[in-house]
Amino acid sequence: MSAGLSRIAYAFPRGRATLAELAARGQLSTAPDTLGRFGFEQVRVAIDETPYGLALDAARTVLERVDPESIDLLLWAGMPSAAAFQAPGARGRSVLGTLDRFKFPGTRLQSELGLLRASTFSVGELACASLFGALRVARSLIASEGLRRVLCVASEFFPEEAGREALFNCTSDAACALLLDAGAERNRIVAQAQVTKGYYWDCEGSREEIVASYFPTARHVVTEVLEQAGWAPRDVTWVVPHNVSLRSWEVLLGLLRLPRARLFERNIARNGHTLVGDNFINLADAIESGDIRPGDRLLLFSYGFGAHWSALAMEA
Amino acid sequence: MPSPSDSPAILVTGATGLVGASVLREALERDAGLRALALVRTWESGSALRRSLGDIGRRVCPVLGDVRTPALGLDASLRRQLRGRIGHLVHCAADICFGRTLEQARSVNTAGTAHALELAAELGPQCRFVHVSTAFVAGRSVGSIPEGRSTGVHGFVNAYEQSKHEAEELVRASSRPFVILRPSTIVWDGRSGAVTQVNVVHRALWMYFGGLVPMLPGDERTPLDAVPADWVARAVCRLGLDPQFAGRTFHLCAGGAAPSLRALFDVTDEVLRTDPQFRRRGVCRPEVVDLATYRLFERSVLEIGEPKLVRIVRGLATFIEQMTLPKTFETRGVEAVLAEPAPPVLAYWPRMLAHLVSTHWAGAREMQVAA
Repeated sequence: MSAGLSRIAYAFPRGRATLAELAARGQLSTAPDTLGRFGFEQVRVAIDETPYGLALDAARTVLERVDPESIDLLLWAGMPSAAAFQAPGARGRSVLGTLDRFKFPGTRLQSELGLLRASTFSVGELACASLFGALRVARSLIASEGLRRVLCVASEFFPEEAGREALFNCTSDAACALLLDAGAERNRIVAQAQVTKGYYWDCEGSREEIVASYFPTARHVVTEVLEQAGWAPRDVTWVVPHNVSLRSWEVLLGLLRLPRARLFERNIARNGHTLVGDNFINLADAIESGDIRPGDRLLLFSYGFGAHWSALAMEA
Repeated sequence: MPSPSDSPAILVTGATGLVGASVLREALERDAGLRALALVRTWESGSALRRSLGDIGRRVCPVLGDVRTPALGLDASLRRQLRGRIGHLVHCAADICFGRTLEQARSVNTAGTAHALELAAELGPQCRFVHVSTAFVAGRSVGSIPEGRSTGVHGFVNAYEQSKHEAEELVRASSRPFVILRPSTIVWDGRSGAVTQVNVVHRALWMYFGGLVPMLPGDERTPLDAVPADWVARAVCRLGLDPQFAGRTFHLCAGGAAPSLRALFDVTDEVLRTDPQFRRRGVCRPEVVDLATYRLFERSVLEIGEPKLVRIVRGLATFIEQMTLPKTFETRGVEAVLAEPAPPVLAYWPRMLAHLVSTHWAGAREMQVAA
């Protein structure tokens, strides 16, 4: 049974910060002009929003004119536990009691959205590849259990005290919601591949090895997904990226022997790299702008610290 | 020291180096009556050289000197003593560090050769000049590289190549009877079954083993030429010490039998994957990309400034462009003379890798620290 993304929605917080502003606040570890050369201009920063609040906004948007009781499964792929309910200023100050630890954003979302038939659980430890993991589980359950409609929601804020940079990438806060429908013809998932290398679980301790392993492993997982899809690299109409540095995409496109013109790159500068959902936010924007048209062959790739390399082949 | 009654001796420069030491051993083993002078920088290294040669080391007389100085630093009385008694000056000394400036490289490789030629002239007309060069005097030339004179018109990847090319020109311009021998990259010693001198190839393999080489520029079909030290030593003695080859230039290379980069990667990956640590790290084989993509990666690494990666790309930068300049060294001359062609690289490559893994790339690690 094939499945496709019938709807995509996302929500950003109200705040924005330029590289110069982030540097002035001491939230970058790399010089802003270097990050500028890498394609970044600004990031989205939560002020008083909460990850859960943004997730609720995105999910409500994606479910407009959708019967909530048609949802068979809700997969939460964002911040775990009650941390998702806290605004940036509050985080780190409150101590969670025993029962607070079982206040889950996924089940609260199920309740508030009225998804009365939807069983709910969380997909975790995939970082920026979380929604890829959620889609993988969703597709699998559509195929094995006959589910018809799955809602995948993710929301992540970068910890305020951690700055706004992860290994030379400028990070944003955001939420994203996807509706995966069995038999949907639009944005049909043709193939999916993931490689996990737990050796790189310690991101700080392995930073140089991660930089080095990123490219060949990315090429490997992309090659695998294209083979599964039966496509040659030249068949790819658009590469829909996660918003890591444009420079790293230029290098990766060189490895893949794909021209830069195929990369939907405009959101890297204006959105920065969200910890969830870059590829799908970009996909929604590219469809909205008319850049991506029905029938286009799409390659989505994301890397999640931990370490996961994930790729999707989709037909728009 | 050879006496007037002795048959002519040989004088070897770079006698403690990879090629020089191997040539010295081979020459002494081939001719039980041969005596040799070994140019060394310190008495300690001279003593160590004699000890390493065992019994035949007794026929070696270390002489203190330095190729960077006129007459190789030998004083006038010693030169007078040696006049008419040296049959071959085998010039193996070289600075093989690719990261040197042109001035530094020339001071050893070009000026050193000029000094050696001057000394050979002073030692008398019987003294033939055996010049150990490098196949990479071909520099940026691509395609089939003839065994004759290299023009240098395509330029060079590093100062080592240029300084060795200039040294060859000096040899050709001299009035000495000469033989020029051009080994390719020496990666293995079949005699000892070990890597006796770590070079950039071993260092690159160590980085690969450590998962720190994501990509290399070039084409997987590019031939990668390499030879073992013991074969080079035999070839130098056979071709260099035989007067009939005067004026000739020989490639001591795998030539047309050099494996492609892809074949070498296949074998390398297969061998390294037998190491549990390597497998656990899930290291991918390096991607082979166009030069523009590699340069972009290189520039990015320098911009982000991660120290280990910066050292690696800077180390590779001294020779990596050669990977984009596919060439096959012609070996017709060598094949016509030697009964023994260069051993197939893939025949000893797995043993070389196994040796490197078992010794934890000790030498390559030292190079990394020094880089």
